[in-house]
Amino acid sequence: MHTEPSAHALPEALIEPSLTVGRVTPGSLDDQVLAFPETPPPRQWYIGLAITLSALFTGLGFIGWTFYKGIGAWGNNSPVFWAFDIINFVFWVGIGHAGTLISAILFLFRKRWRNAIARFAEAMTIFAVMCAVIFPLIHVGRPWVAFWLFPYPNQRALWTNFRSPLLWDVFAVNTYFSVSLMFWYLGLIPDIASMRDRTTSKLRRAIYTALAMGWRGAASHWQHYEKAYLLLAGLATGLVLSVHSVVSFDFATSVVPGWHMTIFPPYFVAGAIFAGFSMVVIVLVVVRETMQLKNLITMRHLDVMNKVILAMSCIMAYSYMMEGFTAWYSMNEYLHHGFMNIITGTYGWAGWITISCNIFIPQLLWFKKCRSSYFWMIFVAIGVTIGMWFERFVIIVISLHQDYLPSAWRIYKPTMTDFGILLGTFGLFFTLVLIFARVLPVIATTEVKAILPDAQPSHGDSHE
Amino acid sequence: MSAEKAYSVLGLFDTPNALMQAIPKVRAAKAGTVEAYTPYPIHGIDDALGLRRSPLGGMVLVMGVLGALTAFGFEYWISAIDYPIITGGKSPSSWEAFIPIMFEVTVLFATFTAGLGMLLLLNRLPFFGHPVLSSKSIKGITRDRFALAIEAEGEDFDAAAAARILQDAGAVEVEVLPAPDRSPFLTSTYILRTLGGIFVACAVAGFGIYTLTKWFPVLRPMVNMQDQPRLNAQKASTFFKDGRGMQAPVKGTVARGYLPTATGTQDASAALVNPLPRTKEVFAVGRKAYLNRCEVCHGAVGNGVGSLTAAYGAKPANLQSQQFLDYPDGKMYWAIVNGKNAMPSHAADLNESQRWAVIHYVRALQRAQNAKDEDLKVVAP
Repeated sequence: MHTEPSAHALPEALIEPSLTVGRVTPGSLDDQVLAFPETPPPRQWYIGLAITLSALFTGLGFIGWTFYKGIGAWGNNSPVFWAFDIINFVFWVGIGHAGTLISAILFLFRKRWRNAIARFAEAMTIFAVMCAVIFPLIHVGRPWVAFWLFPYPNQRALWTNFRSPLLWDVFAVNTYFSVSLMFWYLGLIPDIASMRDRTTSKLRRAIYTALAMGWRGAASHWQHYEKAYLLLAGLATGLVLSVHSVVSFDFATSVVPGWHMTIFPPYFVAGAIFAGFSMVVIVLVVVRETMQLKNLITMRHLDVMNKVILAMSCIMAYSYMMEGFTAWYSMNEYLHHGFMNIITGTYGWAGWITISCNIFIPQLLWFKKCRSSYFWMIFVAIGVTIGMWFERFVIIVISLHQDYLPSAWRIYKPTMTDFGILLGTFGLFFTLVLIFARVLPVIATTEVKAILPDAQPSHGDSHE
Repeated sequence: MSAEKAYSVLGLFDTPNALMQAIPKVRAAKAGTVEAYTPYPIHGIDDALGLRRSPLGGMVLVMGVLGALTAFGFEYWISAIDYPIITGGKSPSSWEAFIPIMFEVTVLFATFTAGLGMLLLLNRLPFFGHPVLSSKSIKGITRDRFALAIEAEGEDFDAAAAARILQDAGAVEVEVLPAPDRSPFLTSTYILRTLGGIFVACAVAGFGIYTLTKWFPVLRPMVNMQDQPRLNAQKASTFFKDGRGMQAPVKGTVARGYLPTATGTQDASAALVNPLPRTKEVFAVGRKAYLNRCEVCHGAVGNGVGSLTAAYGAKPANLQSQQFLDYPDGKMYWAIVNGKNAMPSHAADLNESQRWAVIHYVRALQRAQNAKDEDLKVVAP
């Protein structure tokens, strides 16, 4: 899977520090990581699951209320036709992007530290996209006919409109979900084969046998497998950049002041990676501590992740400044009004939460002390998660509530139902994360085995 | 061992180095096909085993291009030919907006080719019947050990000789795998055929139904959206004898809410009784209608001195006069509907209940202008 030259040939300063702490062998790795599904979960796990399930069922209750009452149960009004539903959709799709970035882009860049965290990040991608699609589905009002979104020959003699960014979204998100799932599953196959061959329970063995598809680790299989993995990484890289770009087209192709800007696609992609990495840091810290994976997910992993967050924060700062610059330099009074609304309007507090949480707070990560302290990194990560949610609030609600026609201006207020459904998706996300952590290998053992010391044959000549 | 047919012989190694050093020796012995089984991919093993390059890249490229063309063809045919609609002032055949979906479908085709092509076509998985899976060595192979297999190429395979070759090459353990005695229940070939069959069935059914419903209307299974039998105004119809869809109303038809009453003489209408109760709401309706329609001539208190009276030739009726105090409700109603002397008909302006409400209001005005002591008792709490 990795073809970089042996580290021994490099000068001392260029040798990467070890990616694991202490002695880790392929066997000990399996015993450590693959043991989780075979041991009963601790009490804290059940407590956590109870909390997340309560949140999930609260959300389901509010979704039920929405179906009973209609979309009027939400705070949406005219002209803020889109509010929490699209905010939460963009928020969750964005969270997913970190997983694909870690698993695909860092794979292409041969960043070996990604191997230990890729599995969890990919799982989070899939769960986040599942949370995201709930919102457009329930916002269509009649979700039982949501399949009308797809172009298929039908009795109504209608076709979908291929010039609508909303249809692009349907294709982008569905493709993203399918590709992420495929990527994740392919990575899981050798690990599931390991679990199949070590478990003693008949039921588990039957399930793992079916899931592993008879994987036997043949060299001829590995050859095609690695090729497929490389190709998928390349495809997913293009895809991850396109998905949030397409999501941003939902806004950028309209003429609403504050939306109609060419900076939107890269700005959205950077924001997505920013939010996603923060979520990965939050989850990884908890996993590292509670599952005793300190030797595999090291402080170095967290340090690198925090650096990525810091870099993304700087890109976000540039994007925000660019928004202000565009508003000023365009001399367009509508754009100007929209930007002033963000910093001084009725929702100015939301604008300042966005700027503080996304720009100011992450600057703490310049300090090594903050990058290596759980308290500060969690503080920043939660701040970014809140800030990125508010960023979408700012983009969507502030732009919509006052556009060209002052007679149509109106203040938007979310309802209990809006918050309830948002809480529900957090419940769903963390429920799935908790279940995943106890059912499947949380670390891609096969990939980590391949980068352990002495895992690859030495080339036999100069240094042996 | 010789009694049952051997499928292959496995030799186990503890390190990747030992495995890599053994491969050339075992291959040189030419005892059968050489295959390695490892827990993770080993660098350089492809060349050592003499494996051909994986054709997956080419397959993905072809399918990716096919995906792009499929998406473009589908989008173009739908948007420009089958269901042309103009969006944003662009020509129905403008192609630029098709690019995002072309990209997504390209990635989708390429991904499924890479993933499923690798599993089903190239690796022939799922395959649950391979002898290695039921070997003792598999626990090590998917964990931390490395196996080299010499697989039988023909009837003359000598398992004992193969085992010796492996041991000479440094294998720590050797295991002979018997040939499987039954065929596995689920194989990639079976899955591929099933998927192919489903795909062909869907394609044929979809295309067939589309063609049939489009060109042979008889076969449309549900037509109630397209064909709605009904009579349209201004259109011909075979339903009626005169061939018209629109017929004159039956004699005596009245519009809802506009019951014509008091069409006879005023004296005949005297018997009509005001059907409305004397409630606050009715008085409010009456007051509003009176102020809008009557006040300009009859005056705010009904004494015939309205704001237009001076400019107006005729003298409006003084509703406070004894004549009108004694006037039956029905006659007043008749006057509103038909008009009287210079007063025009108000039938078009006031509906039935408004007319009766106006009459209640006029009665109230009359009573207010001729208040007696006992009226005060009614008002007093």
